[in-house]
Amino acid sequence: MTLIATQSLTKTYGNGVTALADLTVGIEPGIVGLVGANGAGKSTFIKIVLGLLSPTSGQVRVLGLDPTVDGRQVRARVGYMPEHDCLPPDLSAAEFVTHMARMSGLPKTTARERASEALRHVGLYEERYRQVGGYSTGMKQRVKLAQALVHDPDLLLLDEPTNGLDPAGRDAMLGLVERIGTEFGISVLVCSHLLGEVERICDAVVAIDGGRLLRSALLSDMTAATEVLTVEVSEGTDELAARLAAANLPVRRDGRLLLVPLADETTYDLILTAVAELDLPLHRLDQRRHRVAELFATGPVASGEPPAALAGAGATEGGIR
Amino acid sequence: MTNVELSGVSRWYGNVVAVNNVTMSLGPGVTGLLGPNGAGKTTLLHMMAGFLAPSRGTVTLDGEPTWRNPAVYRRLGLVTEREAAYDFLTAYEFVLASARLHRLPQPEAAARRVLDLVELTSAEDRRIGTYSKGMRQRARVAAALVHDPEVLLLDEPFNGMDPRQRMHMMDLLHSLGDAGRTILFSSHILEEVEQVSGTVQVIVSGRLAASGDFRTIRRLMTNRPHVFAIRSTDDRRLAVALMAEPSVNGVELDRDGLTVRAGDYGSFTRALPKIALASGIRVRRLLPSDESLESVFSYLVEA
Amino acid sequence: MSQPTGVIHDIGYQRYTGPRLGRRPIVGALYVHGLRAAFGLGRSAKAKVFPWLIVGVVAVVAAVLTALRARTGQALVGYAEFTEMLSMLIIFFCAVVAPELVSRDLHNGVLPLYFARPLRRQDYALARLAALVSATFLLLAGPMTVMFVGAAFSVDRLGAVWDELGDYLVGLGYAAVHAVVFGVLALLVASLLRRRAVAAGAIVGSFLLTTPVVGVLMVLPYERATQLAGLASPVTLVGGLGDWAFEPGGEAEIGGYGPLYALTTLGFVVAGVLLLLARYRKVASK
Repeated sequence: MTLIATQSLTKTYGNGVTALADLTVGIEPGIVGLVGANGAGKSTFIKIVLGLLSPTSGQVRVLGLDPTVDGRQVRARVGYMPEHDCLPPDLSAAEFVTHMARMSGLPKTTARERASEALRHVGLYEERYRQVGGYSTGMKQRVKLAQALVHDPDLLLLDEPTNGLDPAGRDAMLGLVERIGTEFGISVLVCSHLLGEVERICDAVVAIDGGRLLRSALLSDMTAATEVLTVEVSEGTDELAARLAAANLPVRRDGRLLLVPLADETTYDLILTAVAELDLPLHRLDQRRHRVAELFATGPVASGEPPAALAGAGATEGGIR
Repeated sequence: MTNVELSGVSRWYGNVVAVNNVTMSLGPGVTGLLGPNGAGKTTLLHMMAGFLAPSRGTVTLDGEPTWRNPAVYRRLGLVTEREAAYDFLTAYEFVLASARLHRLPQPEAAARRVLDLVELTSAEDRRIGTYSKGMRQRARVAAALVHDPEVLLLDEPFNGMDPRQRMHMMDLLHSLGDAGRTILFSSHILEEVEQVSGTVQVIVSGRLAASGDFRTIRRLMTNRPHVFAIRSTDDRRLAVALMAEPSVNGVELDRDGLTVRAGDYGSFTRALPKIALASGIRVRRLLPSDESLESVFSYLVEA
Repeated sequence: MSQPTGVIHDIGYQRYTGPRLGRRPIVGALYVHGLRAAFGLGRSAKAKVFPWLIVGVVAVVAAVLTALRARTGQALVGYAEFTEMLSMLIIFFCAVVAPELVSRDLHNGVLPLYFARPLRRQDYALARLAALVSATFLLLAGPMTVMFVGAAFSVDRLGAVWDELGDYLVGLGYAAVHAVVFGVLALLVASLLRRRAVAAGAIVGSFLLTTPVVGVLMVLPYERATQLAGLASPVTLVGGLGDWAFEPGGEAEIGGYGPLYALTTLGFVVAGVLLLLARYRKVASK
């Protein structure tokens, strides 16, 4: 079953700002990254998925339901973790998550049990009986995740789940999201500005820009290997470049890396021989991969849009707030 | 050439020691300031900027102390993490106000120049309240840069920025660094730090845990074996050949190829091409698994 | 000989297949949660101080009145007058509780979490309003019940108990009108402000804002002006309605305008509820 499917989805606000323009996309179960510029229409998209906003035109289906009509049924099966702070500081995590479970329709005792389980699964143990106000950023993010998870949704919407976390906290949160998507069997739509994170945990990526679909693809397709080898040696990069050039390989330099087109299998041997003969420490040898960042690096020009779309996106940025 | 020197700097708040005996030297170029939440990065940046007095030790800019020395402000800019609320001003007014505070001879021209530098010219007459996070951040960077300081300190400048804004900010820091300015920025996003600058200062619980090029720092961790992932035309035979190499501590063979743990980085990386060639095995992929800034950082924090 | 046995239990993530309650039980849970929160139950000790202080004062007043009545056999203050006498305390109570119910959620950013759940947007507002109105009603009804029980034991005839019960029920009705009118205004004001202290001040202010108008109209030398003066402020509006509907013979002050007072009160409540719903419709889509 398609998780979220939209057909020519358009949302224009009263002040004339178009947040979504003719967006047609099908999102399959799994961990899906939703990426785009600030003001690209991500928050509008989430609100429409939750049935909190009605589209101006076009259709949307979430878990097979139409959120504009059956918003409550959709919300009963969706968990939402907002980007900003949303926790009352004077409650304990256990009390708060239990309350939120009841707000999702779980009976009283079940709510308590599942809250306790959800907190355990996100890695909060004794701390859950302490007031949330005293928690670290990482712990707060976990509570936010637990309240979205407590009613066992079929779809989790995570808005910048690693916001404000330090490297260790980010690592733990990403691991958690990955587990939810694989072990728990819950589909996840995660909004993130950090494309490296998206590459690490997502199965597929939906990129929107200026309210339009920029690209929707499997991550494996977006990060496919190219026919270029990257070679990195810890020292003697210039010598190696000269030697490879002498061996008639059209080598290019990119920072610390040397880029060599992969003509055929013998290219590997030529490189290895050159490194061995020069007695250099070989640090890296690999086919270069495409990156999700390439979507944005070249800007809208690459997608065939006129450069004016960039200015348009800038105008939308302000309008949505 | 501007150097920021910290010598034996500590800062405590009551019993809480935020920064503990830090000695550090920053030269021109871009340096990343890393550390877990609460490690003391912000306190350190504020002391460098002269906003905060060190409890002990000295912070100097080319030999002059930064604390209680207004002259230093002319040579230094700070972009704080907290968003100041100037929503009612346009970016131009905001930057112009900053230019006037610095008593620049031609404040209007200076404001226009930096707004152009951060690429906000097209939006400079809109109120900051209507900006996205990335645009606000750029407006604040512009205000900190308006007096053309030699030293620029930024606390989490990438926070809340979208991919395009991040790339733009990275380019900006790069070009400022290349132009000979001393730039120090804190960030939690290590991949980005790795892209902007290989030079880092790592703070752990108020102490300076490491400084310099992160690759060099990694080489200094001799107690941590270097892990590589290898794929070749004959992984099993390559594994046998590698085990004979003294610099190799262990080899693991699985579906995805070989995982090699090498004790001596230099010997192993020099030996591998030769071993492969001698055994007639074609190496298709060699990837360092724990050489990224991310792994270097986690090793430093754990230790 | 028995074989040693061992088992590893699966304590991994479990999908939930049990019942999921519908909108009514959820709104009910939200209502009960709000009602408890109004008295600081399930909250920190600090949150209990103000509501229980007011409850204490009201209880003391009721206890004193009951004791005096038991001693003198004469009711010094009727049920309706009891409510009017305490109107300032009711305002304070609403000023403490309404921000606790809605400003707090606004300030903490919890609202998006409610709106992302299987509730309708109006449900949150209505459940909070019902909680505030009920809490305010309980604040008055509790002590009134004490007074009634005290009175029922002190009268000698059975008929007098029936009379007393009638007065008591009318008194409860009047208390309910107070709770509704004061609750609607207080919650509407609180729903606009995210800081609790500011909201509390604004609520008290909103009740007092128009009292000078009433004062000025009262001293005008026109009978009609004095009779209509009460319409200008929520406190006197409900007072006027009470004079007409709940206090036999109390119509002197408002002349024949009783029905107008009743209609105005109704209009005030309806407008307040509509504004409240509109307010949350806007918050939800933001």
